[in-house]
Amino acid sequence: MPTSLLALTLLDRVPGIAFGLPLVLVAAVVFAATHHEDPAAIRRATLEWLGWLGGILGGVLVVVWLVGRLV
Amino acid sequence: MGISASLAAGRIVALSPDDETPIDLKRPAVAAVLSWLVPGLGQLYQGRRQKGVLFMVSLLTIFVVGLWLGGGRVVYASWKPGEKRWAFLCQAGIGAAAIPALLQSWRLEGAAKQPVLLSSFMVPPLSRGQPVSQAYATELARVDPDIEPEDFRPLPPWRQFRPFPPPGMLDRTPADQLSVWHKQLGRFFEIGTLYTMLAGMLNALVIYDAFSGPMHPAPRDEKKEKR
Repeated sequence: MPTSLLALTLLDRVPGIAFGLPLVLVAAVVFAATHHEDPAAIRRATLEWLGWLGGILGGVLVVVWLVGRLV
Repeated sequence: MGISASLAAGRIVALSPDDETPIDLKRPAVAAVLSWLVPGLGQLYQGRRQKGVLFMVSLLTIFVVGLWLGGGRVVYASWKPGEKRWAFLCQAGIGAAAIPALLQSWRLEGAAKQPVLLSSFMVPPLSRGQPVSQAYATELARVDPDIEPEDFRPLPPWRQFRPFPPPGMLDRTPADQLSVWHKQLGRFFEIGTLYTMLAGMLNALVIYDAFSGPMHPAPRDEKKEKR
């Protein structure tokens, strides 16, 4: 269990989608850094990958939400 | 050794996709193994410090955060029939940080029937009827509020965890430890599992980068572009 009751209570209030954001950020950083060597290029590519990953996952979430509303 | 000396010595180099400067990969297989053991360590060995630190910090952070969110329970190796932990195949990609899980599983299911130092860190959950050592049974009853000393019955020379009740008797205790963990942690069991799995899977890209340098975009097909 998370170390303290306070932390658990606080974390329980965080919507599930928020836990995906750090994963998207780290994935974007790793994708960018494995495609480039120059730090400036890595920074630029991280933003591009954030756009792609966020866009794709956001799109999937919107479709799931819409399907959920229709059913 | 500089890049020109590396080239002269016939060492393996990769080209940077940004400015086509050569990158000395030193011994790529060694770098790949190092990057599996600790994310980014292979890049540090190759002298690519910034990338090494970036990989190390980002991947180890999400692995540790995932482990913390999952109460230290989500990384374990189990190959018992019906309780195979497939997620561990992905988690193992993080290397040394996941190795204790293998050790704990081997010790708990081996002749000793108890984990290293009786610690429950990265130990697979006990299933109904599983035999464990007397010392581990006592330790679990002491540290885990959901386990009572009565949950273990004598099975000399071991203690048996929550054996099946005799036919016709109702049993109200949870079947196994995994059910208790899911009840305790709720959605954090899945979130922690996802974080630690993703850390291991992303490290596969880091290992590839250490072995063969940065990935290059596919060359443009000029014929197709003209059409």
